[in-house]
Amino acid sequence: MGHHVSGPDRPSAARLPRRLLPYRVTRWIAASLLHGWVLFAYVLLLAPLIVLAGASFDGAENYAFVNFPPENPTFEWYFEIPRRYYESIGVSIALAGTTAVLSVVFGVPAAFGLVRAVLPGRPLLSAIFRSPLQIPSVVIGISFLHLYYAMGIAMGVNPAGSFAGLAIGHFFHSMPYVTGTTVAVLQRFNTALEEAAISLGASRWRTLRRITLPVIMPGVYTGALYSFMVSFGDIPISIFLTTPQFTTFPVEIFLDMDQGLEPPMLAASTLVIVFSLGVMLLVQKVVGLEQILRSAGARK
Amino acid sequence: MSHLQTKTLRTFAAAALIAIVIPPAAAGELDGQTLRVGTWGGSWQGIQRKRIATKLEAMGAKVEFVKGNPSANLAKLIAARGGQAPFDVFEIIDATLPSVLKGNFLRPLDLSLIPNSKYINKDRVREKVIATWNTQEGICYLPGKFKELGIAAPKTYADLANPKLEGRVMIPDYVSGGGLAMLSGFALSQGGRLDNIKPGLNLVKRIKGVQFWKKGAQALTGMKSGDIYASVIHGGWCVRAAKAGLNVATRYARIDNNTVGVVKQGWIGIVKGTKVAKAANIWINNFISTDFQVAFAKAKGAMPENREAAPQLTDDALLNRLMILDPDKMDRMLRVDFSKVDTSAWREQWNRAVAK
Amino acid sequence: MTLRWHYFLVPSLVVTLLLLLTSQYVFLKGSFYQDLGLGLIGDELTPDNYVKFFTDPFYLRSLWLTIKVSLLATAGTLLLGYPVAYVIARSRPRLAMFMMAAIVISSFMSIIIKVFGLMIIFSSTGWINQTLLGLGLIDRPYTVIGNLSGVVVGLIHFCLGFAVLLLYSVIQTIPRSLEEAAQIHGASRASVLWRVVFPLSLPGVIVGALTLFNLNMGAFTSAALLGGGRIFTLPVLIQQTVILDVKYSMAGTIAAILLASVILINLMSIFVLRRMRATKWVIT
Repeated sequence: MGHHVSGPDRPSAARLPRRLLPYRVTRWIAASLLHGWVLFAYVLLLAPLIVLAGASFDGAENYAFVNFPPENPTFEWYFEIPRRYYESIGVSIALAGTTAVLSVVFGVPAAFGLVRAVLPGRPLLSAIFRSPLQIPSVVIGISFLHLYYAMGIAMGVNPAGSFAGLAIGHFFHSMPYVTGTTVAVLQRFNTALEEAAISLGASRWRTLRRITLPVIMPGVYTGALYSFMVSFGDIPISIFLTTPQFTTFPVEIFLDMDQGLEPPMLAASTLVIVFSLGVMLLVQKVVGLEQILRSAGARK
Repeated sequence: MSHLQTKTLRTFAAAALIAIVIPPAAAGELDGQTLRVGTWGGSWQGIQRKRIATKLEAMGAKVEFVKGNPSANLAKLIAARGGQAPFDVFEIIDATLPSVLKGNFLRPLDLSLIPNSKYINKDRVREKVIATWNTQEGICYLPGKFKELGIAAPKTYADLANPKLEGRVMIPDYVSGGGLAMLSGFALSQGGRLDNIKPGLNLVKRIKGVQFWKKGAQALTGMKSGDIYASVIHGGWCVRAAKAGLNVATRYARIDNNTVGVVKQGWIGIVKGTKVAKAANIWINNFISTDFQVAFAKAKGAMPENREAAPQLTDDALLNRLMILDPDKMDRMLRVDFSKVDTSAWREQWNRAVAK
Repeated sequence: MTLRWHYFLVPSLVVTLLLLLTSQYVFLKGSFYQDLGLGLIGDELTPDNYVKFFTDPFYLRSLWLTIKVSLLATAGTLLLGYPVAYVIARSRPRLAMFMMAAIVISSFMSIIIKVFGLMIIFSSTGWINQTLLGLGLIDRPYTVIGNLSGVVVGLIHFCLGFAVLLLYSVIQTIPRSLEEAAQIHGASRASVLWRVVFPLSLPGVIVGALTLFNLNMGAFTSAALLGGGRIFTLPVLIQQTVILDVKYSMAGTIAAILLASVILINLMSIFVLRRMRATKWVIT
């Protein structure tokens, strides 16, 4: 019979596909294609950031001719960042921080309720808490604009253009992130830890505070990080709820960009990139990226 | 003379000397007043600061600038309704003027404090506003490139639709500073009217590969890089192009038998309820003074409304070649009455015409 | 003492419901009024805005354009994101960490910054044109800005990071042993991917695709900036109607139609998915 072995654990020779090239070669080609494609995806993804940062150092005398790689490297544009950019970055940071805090304050108890309360209609409750994710952010923006306008007529105070108004809109949009990651981490939580504490005499509250919360904190931090980042970079909601005198950084840049690219914008944006990297490093120190990896699917 | 008489004489002489040497009370007449001026930023503001603010400061006033374009400043006025306005005098362009007047934000001018108004065309000295400058919107092109292509220099907007110029023409985006003037010029030169701009939009569609600029600098870059041969833009930019070494020429498009060229008109007015009306009126008088208008035109390319100032610019070779300096010719340029224009409808029609 | 977990729920539920119901009700109701200009709204109910939308080819074309752009962007994102997610899921832990970190970093950058970078790359002196000119493929700079393709690329940047995270969590649930088994039976790598991994991940991919589609439908930074003022998707129109026209009601109308379209398309897709499951096209 020679080299072919027919039988239940090997397909008969007649069903093996004909091969043009040895198996090893096709495997190598397939792997290279796959990895090449993935590399291309990464280049695509990271190129704008690198180009932006690099171009911010370009000493272009005609500012419409932004160059990358930079021709005469210079820091001069960093000194020409207008004050209002710094102000709007400040607003963005304060707003994102407030949003994250609010989202945690309301999102974590909601997660506890969803995972541990015995209630009829839990899917409905879950859907309600997830609903802001289903609404396009531009619709959230305009619906809150309308809401504030109506409040202005009904109660005489229109929160549009105020910090509170922005914070409420952002909070509505990002609370589901915290709820989602906290639910995920709670579901994986080993209740035996709590039972052990209780059997040793700790009260429920104490257990919650000193056992449960510390263990789930990484998940909460992840959700808070998502909240912060989503709020920081948001435009569709902020653009309706800000005024020319009081804006967030992305909106400020967006409105300016409509009028043409200018190097100080590049410098300011690069600063923001550095800032975001800093936040990420901080999170890595506190929580570790594996946590983000694990909670990745929790946003669904 | 007795000792007492000498003393009295000396005191008297000293007092008289002081009264003569020290400038009269009129110099301190604006003491303690702060004038807030709403205008654009950058060098536009800078030259006002250097040449007008210093004059008022010599009179004892303080001058502050509130930065913003006219519609942003109008929004600030609307937001401050019922309270204190954020500025006392501000610059307005033709497109924004109807809204400002309708909103009743201005107080009448005191022409006795604005004697320079006699140099302004009577039609543009109004109860509450006075014309300050105009930018001349036309076609800035590279005659060398036109010669290469073998086509005649453009005489009107329709000449830009020449197929040989495909992809070589840049016009203002509707939302840019030059958009309204462009659209009015296009429409009226093609037989349309202010309430029917379709002919103008059709012309935009006929210019193959047309590109839009949102900021003047983009057109300048396009021409410098050799990409663009002709842009619809105001003359001041063409002057800048010439200074940057480009071989440019301007052509102010013929609109109809009596009108050549389009003008974006600048105005100025005093806000109602201001506490420094006198300073505001003096500011305006200085703005339209011949000296300032000449300096302003040379620096910013915004042409004077002061009829004495325009002829003084003819000694500047570039301005002479690229702009319209004859006051009579300036009067014959198209000025759109925006109270008759529904800009929201215009924008909707624009969107539909350029949507891909 | 027991903790009643449902007490934990109540404040958050109240706040969420309050914001959800009031904002959506007010805005939907507001779309039925007339704009009086300068941001004022009339006070009689009228369907005029909706009539205006559905009888104007421009608006209808915008609706279709928005859907088209979102579909293209979703497809492109999946094409790019699926292989990336697969490679991360099958890599050694340290490499996977690195790759994931890069994804997370980029997905946390504001879209405005990414679009800014894209505008530089796409500009007439930017990298793409320089390369194409250098290779002699074109003789004049090609304007990507103002074209549909530019907007689609921007949208892909917007949701690629999120897509990879989503797809990763799906692919991770497929045990490697299945792939190894298939390889033992002689399947090529491509075959393994196409006939084993992909079908198993399909339900998750479809749900993920829906989420991405929703994201893209609501995005407007890319279309506004990379569209060069000529690509009018619904979000761009909404923004223009509010900021430039100050017509809050009409903007609300457009937003309501956008929301309705998103919900409808979602429902249709879920329905189709159920039918596919029922007829065993898809293995759950």
